[in-house]
Amino acid sequence: MEKKLGLYIHIPFCEHKCDYCDFYSITKFDDYVRYTDSLLLQMEDFSEKASDYVVNTIYIGGGTPTAIPVKRMLEIIDGIYRNFKVDEKVEFTMEANPATVNKKMLKKYYKAGVNRISFGMQSAIDEELASLSRIHSFDEFANSYNIAKQAGFENINVDIMYGIPGQTQRSLGYTLEQVCDLKPTHISLYGLKIEEGTPFFEKKDKLDLPDEDTEFEMYKYAVDYLRFRGYWQYEISNFSKDGFKCKHNLKYWNCQEYLGFGPAAHSYFDNHRFSYKRSVPMFMDALEYVDAGIDILEEDYDITPEERVDEYIMLKLRLAEGLNVNEFKYNFNKDFSQMFEKELKLYIENGFMEFKNGNYYFTTKGMYVSNYILSTFMTCESDITKNIAKGLDK
Amino acid sequence: MSITNDRQKKIRNFSIVAHIDHGKSTLADRILEHTQSVAKREMEEQLLDNMDLERERGITIKARAVKLDYTAPDGQEYVLNLIDTPGHVDFNYEVSRSLNACDGALLVVDSTQGIQAQTLANAYLAVDADLEIVPVINKIDLPAADPDKVRKEIEDVIGIPAEGCPAISAKSGLNIDQVLDKIISDIPCPKGDVDKPLKALIFDSYYDSYLGVVVYIRVFDGQIKSGDEIYMMGTGAKFTVVDVGTMSAFELAKSDYLAAGDVGYITASIKNVSDTRVGDTVTNAENGIDTPLPGFKKAVPMVYAGIYPADGAKYGDLRDALEKLRLNDAALTFEPETSAALGFGFRCGFLGLLHMEIIEERIEREFNLDLITTAPSVIYKIDKKDGSTVMIDNPANYPLVDEIETAYEPMVKASIITPSEYIGGIMDLCQDRRGVFIDMTYIDTTRAELHYRLPLNEIIYDFFDALKSRSKGYASLDYEIAEYVPSKLVKLDILLNGDVVDALSFIVHEEKAYARGRKICEKLKDNIPRQLFEVPIQAAIGGRVIARETVKALRKDVLAKCYGGDITRKKKLLEKQKEGKKKMRTLGTVEVTPEAFMAVLKLDDE
Repeated sequence: MEKKLGLYIHIPFCEHKCDYCDFYSITKFDDYVRYTDSLLLQMEDFSEKASDYVVNTIYIGGGTPTAIPVKRMLEIIDGIYRNFKVDEKVEFTMEANPATVNKKMLKKYYKAGVNRISFGMQSAIDEELASLSRIHSFDEFANSYNIAKQAGFENINVDIMYGIPGQTQRSLGYTLEQVCDLKPTHISLYGLKIEEGTPFFEKKDKLDLPDEDTEFEMYKYAVDYLRFRGYWQYEISNFSKDGFKCKHNLKYWNCQEYLGFGPAAHSYFDNHRFSYKRSVPMFMDALEYVDAGIDILEEDYDITPEERVDEYIMLKLRLAEGLNVNEFKYNFNKDFSQMFEKELKLYIENGFMEFKNGNYYFTTKGMYVSNYILSTFMTCESDITKNIAKGLDK
Repeated sequence: MSITNDRQKKIRNFSIVAHIDHGKSTLADRILEHTQSVAKREMEEQLLDNMDLERERGITIKARAVKLDYTAPDGQEYVLNLIDTPGHVDFNYEVSRSLNACDGALLVVDSTQGIQAQTLANAYLAVDADLEIVPVINKIDLPAADPDKVRKEIEDVIGIPAEGCPAISAKSGLNIDQVLDKIISDIPCPKGDVDKPLKALIFDSYYDSYLGVVVYIRVFDGQIKSGDEIYMMGTGAKFTVVDVGTMSAFELAKSDYLAAGDVGYITASIKNVSDTRVGDTVTNAENGIDTPLPGFKKAVPMVYAGIYPADGAKYGDLRDALEKLRLNDAALTFEPETSAALGFGFRCGFLGLLHMEIIEERIEREFNLDLITTAPSVIYKIDKKDGSTVMIDNPANYPLVDEIETAYEPMVKASIITPSEYIGGIMDLCQDRRGVFIDMTYIDTTRAELHYRLPLNEIIYDFFDALKSRSKGYASLDYEIAEYVPSKLVKLDILLNGDVVDALSFIVHEEKAYARGRKICEKLKDNIPRQLFEVPIQAAIGGRVIARETVKALRKDVLAKCYGGDITRKKKLLEKQKEGKKKMRTLGTVEVTPEAFMAVLKLDDE
């Protein structure tokens, strides 16, 4: 049987950088030809290594993929098909920023094989969008959404954010309602996190952020509301109509392999996790001047059997279906129920977790404190940072 | 009758006493330099304070001694024995013994600050020891220096002539020669009869892994040499002397003998410093003297606290550390103790709070152990209804209320010197700490000396810090232990999630129980992170809850977005969280930061 592979392509360019965002992207860049060439060179590097894999998910993310010239994007897509075996039923997602798309562009991408669009909408209230320094209004989003529909896209995700400065449970309710009325197949619900190094971090004390308890109430409300509208939660932050779970994201939680291309992209391939440094110029130089020996690896490490257990627990429990004890036993020859007997009992008795049909899974309350609980399941004594350091030494 | 021989005429045994930071150790360095005992390039700042901790805190913890060869301007050669003394009230007894080994003392006073509490306390100790006191006015190079005012203060307050006393800058070396002149001219040479039986005072000792205990002595009568059989009159221990000699700045220098008037060391294959107590008298094993030198006391711990390794597995390491420290510190006591909350540790006895902090810091630095220390406790005396009397140094052992006939607590006599503008605030503080005002005298128009009788348990927590903060750092404190008095004491328990945490219990005066209970609950609330469950914090006396706070349950701890397959980031986050949890102490079902134990001790908010 052929092995399955996911591909992630990073397009780290934005027209404008949002104040809360800490993903790697740059503004005021115009050498897209050179960047595209670098991506193509990198794909070629992996082409042979991945020759016995079939690619069944592709995800072009950013940054803003829809911010680069269509011609360049089509070259990248072409490069994917040239270098990898792609399943004809591939799930092929492209992230899109509202107000950066037009019908002609989306039609071309649809024709080139993209079959899923993910819109970074965040809120249906313009004041909230402004407080996040988003460049679009809700109307512009709705317009972009309709264009995508007209271009042929049926599988569409919409990102919703909660915990926005000034947001209330009521305003979140309004956003949820507006989005559900558009009937996307998939909704991602993310909590705003104030990350170090962002403008939001600098002014965090001045932001009118909801407190911990309010935020939890918002989350709980959203989960309930989305269920009511027919969106099933399959992961902490992800909800979909029947049959529209995001297969690419599921690879992350199911410990399946994926290759990332571009600066800051992450890969899990051949029992190995690695990622690239957050620098477009360095990335391009490294691929153009191969002999210069520029090391673009940010982290690079093999996963020890012990780490694999930790990863499995941590990733599987993010999923609504949770961790299956039989599968766990099959994979690691260990009894999950026994390993954490005391902890599991405590969590179940207090409504943080449930156990059904061999699966341990978080309740909504449990999901919201999942880091705390997961940290009590981590058994690995090896210091992960040590592994990373080792990788850098290579 | 003591006689003075020619040899003795060329010896001066002296010490330097001062309030903290008045320049005692700097002057010692300068004298060393001046007498060429230490070449300048070998000088390390404050040579005598050779523990890192001493240099950092600017205090002398252990007594030390050094022999200096000095050629006076007239060509005469002298031997100067400088005996450095500890500089803190916790070590008053050691100071008094060191002083007894001397014939005179330099009293260093900072010319910008004038007389402070420890200036007085040390001056009185020197007077008690019958020493000739030579005032030295220091720091005259500073703009705020007022040597004339300080000179007058010395005469008025201490009552010793200060006319013509050296005014110096130990820092720059200004007028150090005058100090040396004064040592020769004013400090009497030692007396004593070399033909009498041996009579020597132990003023310090330390453990050396090759030599065994090295004992510092001052010989008053007789002589001592290698091979002599000696007898320690206080402890009853007998030894055969291996070596005798003197202390140069860097090493021990063997000599043939030590005779009446000399200061030096002896070694005798002694394994344990507890056999060589400071203040004890050394004499010949055969035909020795009958009456020891007066004033010998066994160092008695005044303050007790539980010390636990932050990582329970390091119990053995902690024991090793304590045993090593005890080799050099006869005043440190410890015995194993178990706490339901903290596991296995030791109940340690200290001379005072500074002594306790020093031991803690040394364990953490020199032995690389993280510690959790419980609230320090004094020793309470309890007359029980069954007629028995018990001494309690651990709140966990405090008898039940109905078993107690009368409870007693130790008092201190405190002397506080402060600029007059802070008198009000300091009186409030003393009042608040249950102090009883004795009297107040003005040192001059701007400064006063206050005397209070205070319960020791009120000053062992943060009294000194509070005093400093209320006087912008100007007030100084000295105290001596006084008597036990009957007191209305109660045991205050702290409950987390309904369970008593034994390590947080303490004894407090009835009147203060409510306020302190409330404050501790508040402090704990700040030091208990939100966890999966709500955590009630309660303070209770007996079964009666007197204060309560609640740490709300954790609601949010989630990584919503796991972006682009960046699993490493999430792993790091959980790993970090796990590490953080490891540092926490779990008390029953509640996780508490290790800082919580110390935080509850700092109760003065001002």
